[in-house]
Amino acid sequence: MSRCSYIIMILPDLKKTIIAPATPQGKGALAVIRMSGPEAFRIFAAISSRRFSCPAHKQVSLVKIKAGKTVLDEAIVVFFKGPNSYSGEDTVEISCHGSAYIVREILNAAISCGAVSAGPGEFTFRAFLNGKLDLSEAEAVNALISSDSAASHHAAITQTEGFLSAMVSGLKDKSVTLLAEIEARLDDSDGLIPEADLNYFSDISEQIRKEVLSASESFKAGRHIKEGLKIVFAGAPNSGKSSLMNAFLGYDRAIVSPMAGTTRDTLESSIEIKGLKICLTDTAGLDSSAGDSIEAEGMSRALSALRNADIVLLLKDSSEPESKADKLAAGKVKDSICEGTKIIKIFTKADLSKHKRKRNGIIVSSVTGEGIEELKNKITENYLSLSAESASAITSARHYEALSAAAKELKELSFLLKRRNSPLELAAEHLRAALNCFGLITGETAPDDVLAKIFSSFCVGK
Amino acid sequence: MKKYFVFPKKFDVIVIGAGHAGCEAALAAARTGAETLLLTQSLDSIARMSCNPSIGGVGKGQIVKELDILGGEMGRNADKAMLGCHMLNTSRGPAVRSPRAQCDKKLYQSEMKRTLEKQPGLMIMQDEAARIIPKGQKISMVETVRGTRYLTKTAVIASGTFLRGTIHIGLRSFRGGRYDDPAADLLSLSLEDLGIKTKRLKTGTPMRLNARSIDFSVCEEQLPDENPQPFSWRTPVITNKLLSCAITRTTASTAEIIRSSLDESPLYSGKIKSVGPRYCPSIEDKVVKFPHHLEHHIFLEPEGFDTNEYYVNGLSTSLPEHTQWDMVHSVKGLEKAEIIRPGYAIEYDYFDPQGLDYSLQSRILRGLFFAGQVNGTTGYEEAAAQGFMAGLNAAKFCKGEEPLILRRDEAYIGVMIDDLISSGVDEPYRMFTSRAEYRLMLRQDNADLRLAKYGFDSGLIPACHKETFLRYEEAAHAISAGFSFDLSNLPESGPWTGARALETGNIEKEYGVYIKRNQIEAEKMKRFVNLKIPDDFDYAGIISLSNEARQKLIKVRPGTIAQASHIPGLTPADIQLLWISIESLHNFKKKRP
Repeated sequence: MSRCSYIIMILPDLKKTIIAPATPQGKGALAVIRMSGPEAFRIFAAISSRRFSCPAHKQVSLVKIKAGKTVLDEAIVVFFKGPNSYSGEDTVEISCHGSAYIVREILNAAISCGAVSAGPGEFTFRAFLNGKLDLSEAEAVNALISSDSAASHHAAITQTEGFLSAMVSGLKDKSVTLLAEIEARLDDSDGLIPEADLNYFSDISEQIRKEVLSASESFKAGRHIKEGLKIVFAGAPNSGKSSLMNAFLGYDRAIVSPMAGTTRDTLESSIEIKGLKICLTDTAGLDSSAGDSIEAEGMSRALSALRNADIVLLLKDSSEPESKADKLAAGKVKDSICEGTKIIKIFTKADLSKHKRKRNGIIVSSVTGEGIEELKNKITENYLSLSAESASAITSARHYEALSAAAKELKELSFLLKRRNSPLELAAEHLRAALNCFGLITGETAPDDVLAKIFSSFCVGK
Repeated sequence: MKKYFVFPKKFDVIVIGAGHAGCEAALAAARTGAETLLLTQSLDSIARMSCNPSIGGVGKGQIVKELDILGGEMGRNADKAMLGCHMLNTSRGPAVRSPRAQCDKKLYQSEMKRTLEKQPGLMIMQDEAARIIPKGQKISMVETVRGTRYLTKTAVIASGTFLRGTIHIGLRSFRGGRYDDPAADLLSLSLEDLGIKTKRLKTGTPMRLNARSIDFSVCEEQLPDENPQPFSWRTPVITNKLLSCAITRTTASTAEIIRSSLDESPLYSGKIKSVGPRYCPSIEDKVVKFPHHLEHHIFLEPEGFDTNEYYVNGLSTSLPEHTQWDMVHSVKGLEKAEIIRPGYAIEYDYFDPQGLDYSLQSRILRGLFFAGQVNGTTGYEEAAAQGFMAGLNAAKFCKGEEPLILRRDEAYIGVMIDDLISSGVDEPYRMFTSRAEYRLMLRQDNADLRLAKYGFDSGLIPACHKETFLRYEEAAHAISAGFSFDLSNLPESGPWTGARALETGNIEKEYGVYIKRNQIEAEKMKRFVNLKIPDDFDYAGIISLSNEARQKLIKVRPGTIAQASHIPGLTPADIQLLWISIESLHNFKKKRP
């Protein structure tokens, strides 16, 4: 039944437009995203301020990238017309700011406009299929793919993939059971199996779909596994944010990889604490009196950082009484963060503070290092205990696509089952398609798996 | 005295066995111009229906329709012998809708025998093949138990359950290829000598009853369809008078009788070690595995117009004879029934189909083809289809032509052969529609639209029908695409009428979205289907291939990338690597003429 899933999985569907980051994640100030395929120019127009038209070959433009009406970034874009591109197809190369968040949002925007995320080595593979590579280069593709598969093999045995695959296997088992119920009736030559209870089938299908949806929702929740836990330093100007960040980094300088945004006023660095990847973002002071447009832009970036934060460190200078600016900053943080974001109150400059009062938060000193260890523990405590659970979250866009497609098939299935007069064999088509989608994550379902289920559940055959 | 009689004529194709596979193989070969010899232990056993008296069923009915339009005989023969007919699954959709016919067993045999006898280019000989004699890597002769040697270019082994057959009734067992026929032991030994490995499978059949002793008044009558549809495009209309079947049930005491005699069951006492078909379980299996089912359906089916013998569908068993009597008497309506043949189980040799290529030819000995139960399948229809393909391909092999290999999106026959060769079997293989991923495309109503081209190409469908068919095809396609079409040009009777074009065109139209989806996937596969892997391809040359994948590929030796993709346990990365290597190879050849 889903015999062909391997092929579908590995065969570049040249009618589809693929997209993927061309530069390694989180390793530079700039990131390059490449999109290739017949729809590349149309999809790019849909996610940018650019009108759709056929661009000139090698045309370079500065374009705003949008998701709906929200501007995600301003990027340098180069257009290549097939067959004179690397892949031999129409290609758009987007050089955007190198934040994992921006890259992900651009990918999401393109995918929602019809692109699909590229498989391992797929650009090269397409180049090969389109005759852009000669024999010796094709040998190199061999090596490339084998190294890719070695990498994905490695990924497959990591916990994250293991959890995901176990979760999807569970969904697959339920689907196989339901499919067996349907197939048993379709293959029943003797009319021995009682007619299907379509309402019951429809309920099961809905139930599976909900689980699929909640799994695909965890795509967002699970992103910190790959992109890191996002920690934002916020507070009134001069509350000691930069010093604290430096103090943080100072301890672990050896494994720090700074990613300075050259044109922006948020500063990002990443650090590893107890094996957990942490992205630190220092923001401009949250000050509503920002006058000129540069400061306003800084403000809006700070707010956007807060929106995407997992934890916000709200800083207050403990050597000064609470100011209007402190209150304002606290209010802004509360208004900007999403549900579920944790706020940790930090009282800075402990070394300058005269009164050692008990505070509702962590007292730190960037100078003496007081409280830093406590803060690190505080940051990681929830996440380390959560890591097993959140590891089951899906972390790749490919998985997300597969699950979304499965959910769509299951929706059609429930719809068909509720419509009394639709033939059962059509219901089976949707369920088979959903299983193919699961197969993209866990490997194919052989027809024999379904038959085994039928024979163990039904007394069929004369 | 000469030790051997070397027959003076050299054959193109020798078919060993005249069951459902053998008959089709012999006819397909002879009809495509091969000098053919059919060897059978007994002329009176040609085309015997050793088990149930029916042809078709869900998935199987589609196979018969496919076979028919390719130029096979089973459909027409079943039409001639038909004594009952049902279109199954009418409410579950046109793709799983399948015809099944009850047949007069003797009539089926005599009709097939006559067809074989009348076939020019086909010699029939009652003798048992004992030895395959090779010359180098090729077959050269078939030697019989009487010591006759027949020179040949190819042979088709279609010996069914006869190879080292062992029959079990209770704890008694004896040699036999079918209850009343001797087993064939020598051929198995000869093939093993050639390095072809044998394995064992099991199957079984129920007892037969004398209708005089059945109380039909307490059974439910199962009437035949009012408008019986023929299987064959060559059958204008079914004229036989049709008979009913009867339905009854086992009782709680049947289950009790069976349970208390399991120690005398060769299946449960461990005497039978080989695997039987799960979907065709014996009654003891059903009782043991489904103890909560208080009763099981029994179908009483007449075996012919001129006999009182009834087939007890649902009571397949290998329990001892005395238990069979008790069991039958515990069934409603069978309280006084007389068993005239007992049920039994049979164990037999089969050959791993993974040792074949996709034309059903052995990879070990060229020119040697295998078809039917010897490949681990079960069912008359599965056997006949393989027989046809093997016979046709053997004849093509003699002529140096490319074999006919059907794709999975073209025919159930393609699905079956691909499954057998890619995955092998560990229980008797039966067709199910759930095995076909392109199920909506493989319907009984469009078998001709899918496959007639091959029938015309091989000449098995006479060219004089081509024009009518093409008009029909055009009409069906136009209707499916939503155009109106003047059907008055189509004949009013025969296989390709306007009414049929309308029916099939409308199904395609209604299922358009789904069929399109199937087609897109099939289209993607086609690229791989056309990408042939040379038989002597060096898998060791793909360095990055995992060792496990390499072993599997070397074992199966897929003919195309599509076939490779169906081998269980290969990863997408393996297939991709293979694909690139093959593409490179083809490009290489192209550049260097």
